[in-house]
Amino acid sequence: MLVARDLRKDYPMNGETVHALRGASLTVEPGEYVALVGPSGSGKSTLLQIVGGIDTPTAGTVEILGTRLETLSDRELTRLRLTRLGFVFQRFHLLPVLTARENVELPMAEAGVKGADRRARARRLLDYVGLGHREGHRATQLSGGEMQRVAIARALANRPAVLLADEPTGELDAATGQEILDLFRRLNTDGTTLLVVTHDERLAAQAGRTVHMLDGRIVSEAAAP
Amino acid sequence: MTGLGWGVKSLGRHPLRTALSLAGIAVASAMLLDMVMLSGGIEKSFSDLLLARGYQIRLTPKGTLPFDTEASIGGASHAVRTIRADSGVEAAGAVLGTSIYGRAHDSLVTLFGYGIQPEAQGIYQVTAGADLAPGDTLGVLLSETAAQLLGAAPGDTVTLVGRLDPQMADAAVGRRLAVRGEVRWIYDYRGQPSVGTVLPVMQRLGRDAAEDRASLLLVKVADGAAVEDVAARLRERFPHLEVSSVADLVVQAKRRLVYFTQLSYVLGGMSLIVAVLLVGTLLTITVNERLGEIATLRAIGVSRGTIVRQVFAEGTALTVLGAGFGIVLGLATAEYLDAILTSFPGLPASFSFFVPRADTLGLAALVLLVTGSLAGLYPAWLASRAPIAATLRAEAT
Repeated sequence: MLVARDLRKDYPMNGETVHALRGASLTVEPGEYVALVGPSGSGKSTLLQIVGGIDTPTAGTVEILGTRLETLSDRELTRLRLTRLGFVFQRFHLLPVLTARENVELPMAEAGVKGADRRARARRLLDYVGLGHREGHRATQLSGGEMQRVAIARALANRPAVLLADEPTGELDAATGQEILDLFRRLNTDGTTLLVVTHDERLAAQAGRTVHMLDGRIVSEAAAP
Repeated sequence: MTGLGWGVKSLGRHPLRTALSLAGIAVASAMLLDMVMLSGGIEKSFSDLLLARGYQIRLTPKGTLPFDTEASIGGASHAVRTIRADSGVEAAGAVLGTSIYGRAHDSLVTLFGYGIQPEAQGIYQVTAGADLAPGDTLGVLLSETAAQLLGAAPGDTVTLVGRLDPQMADAAVGRRLAVRGEVRWIYDYRGQPSVGTVLPVMQRLGRDAAEDRASLLLVKVADGAAVEDVAARLRERFPHLEVSSVADLVVQAKRRLVYFTQLSYVLGGMSLIVAVLLVGTLLTITVNERLGEIATLRAIGVSRGTIVRQVFAEGTALTVLGAGFGIVLGLATAEYLDAILTSFPGLPASFSFFVPRADTLGLAALVLLVTGSLAGLYPAWLASRAPIAATLRAEAT
């Protein structure tokens, strides 16, 4: 489903070149739940952004569902992110002027889903993440955990092939973070492929496979016992 | 959620900032509106004034405009008969303007006297009572102010005096006349005390009887005849007179009032620039504040086009709302400014500087809308080009 080969990423910072990735390769199979772990600066988020098509590698290739990302135009890549990938960020990044339901509808509207259909699906997704009763609330009226659950519902809006999450519990307290972990486990059980960057040991522990990174390289992988 | 709905909602994030921006755009729009009304208003108002009674051609002493000087035309009755004989002329009449006096109790009040030919007049409208009949040498028409000064109403009798000798403080000629009606003299300034009699009576009161003088001759062109053709024939027939069509007079008036037009263009242009800067600045600030949010939207697959449309929608919504308030403000200030400007001495009361015209107002609104929307171009471009990964990295730190 997702194959990254020998990814390298260099970028300039304060007059020097930072080697964020030094030849990282990763494969994620359908239905897998993979946790990317490692210390800060090890290249986890950069790898996630490159396999998610929101950054480009200095060298190496990424293939998603048989499509090589480097062959796509910006428009095609945007479309692929919209329809085949789902993103969840540490800081949720919901549109504060929109309600929970409107935030979930947004990717569907962009994909051209008709109004009634996308409203119905947004409601189903909000019910799935346990926020059906909050659909009319604006993002600013939700707690951190609720905002992250809305962000997850938004990421699932267009039925992505794989869900990519960058520190999804990083802004949440332990109890709220546990709710997100439970939700991720349920998503995976229901068939969603997950690739999650995390510092959260609990999250890494529940993943089917844990990939360790250090200094821009994948140093080890371990499947759940 | 459409781009426009989302854009409009985004304006509500910072209500005070949006309100201040809207106020700024409203003021700039109001000024633009006023300047647009001013630039075309003088011409329109002057043209409407001249055509108020449908007379399209004026004949005046050479080198003068109607009532511009005390110069007059001799042999007015003969000239009018000659003009009426032209096949392209439907009606023609002479008008004499002169200073006379009216007796009010034991004193004399200064009046402006019109000598007219009631069968062909283009300078007044009856507001009360009756019009003068042709050849009615015993009747008089009064303006509202003259009626008040003389304490007279239709049916009363007033005494007009002329050829007043300043040394003797007495009148050489006096006439008692019956007030037939109250009228609005079209070219009177506000509060002007004017009276009108048939031409021979006013000529006698104003020293011009012997030479049958008039200040101007008015000509109404017959249906189907071309105004400029008739004017050309009259120029040939009366080479010693100034023959002006309404179009000629409007051109001359525009020349005299060119400062107003230039001022309106300069101030209107500045207003437009201010509106554009306001919209552009607000949107640039807004976009810079929301780069993280925009990068997220791009990350989840929202296209550059959608981002551009959303920022454009915000700019358009700001412009439309600001211009809406601006129209109300602009019409109110135009009315206020018009009242000040038209109170200047010598201007006809029915003259307006600020005339709202659907075509020019529509054009101003369109220009404002287009430029206001275009003001969002740079912020929209900025938003759509934000590097996704770098912006998200910066947001996370």
